[in-house]
Amino acid sequence: MPEKIKIVVNEDRCYLCGGCAGVCPTLAIEVHSSGWEFLQDKCISCKICVNACPVGALSAEPLEVKA
Amino acid sequence: MSWKYDVVVVGAGIAGPIVARNVARAGFSVLLIDKKWAIGTPKQCAEGISIKVFEKYDIPYDKRFINREIYGAKLYSPSGYELEMRYKDVSGVILERKVFDKMLAYYAAKAGADVLARTEALDVIRKDGKVVGIKAKHEDEPVEIYADVIVAADGVESTIARKAGINTYAPPHEFDSSYEYEMLIEGFDPDLIHLWFGNEIAPRGYVWVFPKDEDRANVGIGINSDNPQTAKYYLDKWLKENNIPAKKLLEINVGVVPVGGFVKELVKDNVLVVGDAARQVNPMHGGGMAEAMEAGTIASKWIVKALEEENLSLLQNYTKEWWETDGKRLEKVLKVRRVTEKLTDEDLDLFIQILSGADAEKIAGGDYGEVIKALLKHPKVLLSSRRIKLLKELL
Ligand SMILES: Cc1cc2nc3c(=O)[nH]c(=O)nc-3n(C[C@H](O)[C@H](O)[C@H](O)COP(=O)(O)OP(=O)(O)OC[C@H]3O[C@@H](n4cnc5c(N)ncnc54)[C@H](O)[C@@H]3O)c2cc1C
Ligand code: SF4
Ligand code: SF4
Repeated sequence: MPEKIKIVVNEDRCYLCGGCAGVCPTLAIEVHSSGWEFLQDKCISCKICVNACPVGALSAEPLEVKA
Repeated sequence: MSWKYDVVVVGAGIAGPIVARNVARAGFSVLLIDKKWAIGTPKQCAEGISIKVFEKYDIPYDKRFINREIYGAKLYSPSGYELEMRYKDVSGVILERKVFDKMLAYYAAKAGADVLARTEALDVIRKDGKVVGIKAKHEDEPVEIYADVIVAADGVESTIARKAGINTYAPPHEFDSSYEYEMLIEGFDPDLIHLWFGNEIAPRGYVWVFPKDEDRANVGIGINSDNPQTAKYYLDKWLKENNIPAKKLLEINVGVVPVGGFVKELVKDNVLVVGDAARQVNPMHGGGMAEAMEAGTIASKWIVKALEEENLSLLQNYTKEWWETDGKRLEKVLKVRRVTEKLTDEDLDLFIQILSGADAEKIAGGDYGEVIKALLKHPKVLLSSRRIKLLKELL
C-alpha cells in the first residue's frame, strides 16, 4: 500500500483545465466552473494527477492520521 | 426546477453541439448544457483542423472563426533537419475556437435545441437502477433534467459517463499534458504549421507553432502525462533555447489530451459517450476535433433512429459503427504512435533527413507506404536491424 496522501492545489497556478479530473482513476477530483475540489474518501494515493498537471499546480502531502 | 427533454447533451465543445444540432434537426427536443459561462471560452486547443471537415459535417465556412488558411506542414528533427510538405491548395485552417464552439452551439439552437451556458452537470439521476436524467446546477439553482437519452460530451474529464457506469478509464501514459501560449512570434512561414520532434524537446510529443496571423501563433507543447516534468517546463525551455522571446503573451492555454485508450463500450442503456470523454482523439498528433465531429455524427444518427423507432437498444449500433470505422482507423494510428515512441533522436534526425530528399510529392500526398519504403531503402537504415524492425512494425 502506498503512503496515504492528500492532494493540494496551488490555486494561483491552476487553470481549471480539468485534466487532473480526467486522469484520476477514481473521480476523486472535480473541476467546477467555480473551483477545484478534492474528495479525500475517493483518493487511492496514486499521484497520477500530480504528474499529469501541465503546470505543476498539484502536490501530494502526507495525510495526518488522527490518533 | 425540473425539465423533460428527449435528449440531454452535457458539454458544448465540439462533439456536443454536433449531436444536439443533428438530433434537433430530426425534430426531437434537445437540451445542450455547458458549465462554461461563455461557450468556447477559455480555449484549450491549438485550433488546427483539416479543411475537409466543413463540407463533411455541414459546417459553414464562416470567416468569423477562421483565423488563417494553412497550406501544409514543416517538420523539424532534433538536430535541425527539416521536412517541408507544402500543397497548392489550402489543406487546413487555424480556427478561433472561442467563436467556433459558440457558433456550433448557435447552429444547434437554430436547429431547435435549447442551449444553456453556466449549467454544470453534477451527477446522473437514477430510478430503479436506470439513468433517467442529469442533476445539474444553473448558476446557483439546482435543476433536474429528465431525458430518454443522455449524451456525455464533457471532454477529457469524462465524469458523467463514469457516473453512469461507462468505463472511460485510461492509464496515464495514454494522455498528453499540454501547455500553450498564444503569442507574438516571428520568423516562421505563416502559411505552414511547424512541428519540432525530439526526446529532449518534447518527450513522446512535439512542440508546435500554429500561425493565426503573420506574427501571431499558438505556440505549444504536448508530452506524455506520466512524465515527472511539466509541459510548461519543456515549452519554456524550448523557447529559451531557441532565443524566442516570450514577452508578448496574449493567452495561456492548458489541457490534457487523451491519446489512446479509446472507450470500448460507448453506450450503456440510454447513455452515450462521445469525443474526448470517449478518448476519441488521434493518438499520433493529439487532434480531436474532427474525431469528435465524426463520433457525434454517428451517435446522433443512432439516437434519431432509436427515438423514431422507440427502441433504445438501437443505440448500441453507435458503439458498433464507430469501432468498425473511425475506431479501426485510430487503433492503427495508435500502433504507429507506440512505434514512433521508441525512436531515438538519431533515428528522428536520420528519418527526416532521408524523407526531405525523397519523392517530395508522394510524401506530401501522405502516401504512407511510400514513406516507409523510402526509409527502408536507405543504407543507414539497412545496416541497423533495430531500425528495420521498427519500420516493419509500421507497415
Ligand atoms: C493544448 C491543446 C491543443 C489542442 N490542439 C488541437 C488541434 O490543433 N486540433 C484538434 O483537432 N484538436 C486539438 N486538441 C484536442 C481538442 O481540443 C479536443 O479533442 C476537442 O476539443 C474535443 O471536443 P469535445 O467536444 O470532445 O470536448 P471539449 O471541446 O473539451 O468540450 C467539452 C465541454 O464540456 C464541458 N463540460 C465538462 N464537464 C461538464 C459538466 N460537468 N457539466 C457541463 N459541462 C461540462 C466543458 O466546459 C467543455 O466545454 C487540443 C487539445 C489541447 C488541450
Ligand atoms: S490539471 Fe492542473 S491546471 Fe488543470 S485543473 Fe488540474 S490542477 Fe488545475
Ligand atoms: S492521487 Fe490518484 S486517486 Fe488521488 S486524486 Fe490524484 S489521481 Fe486521483
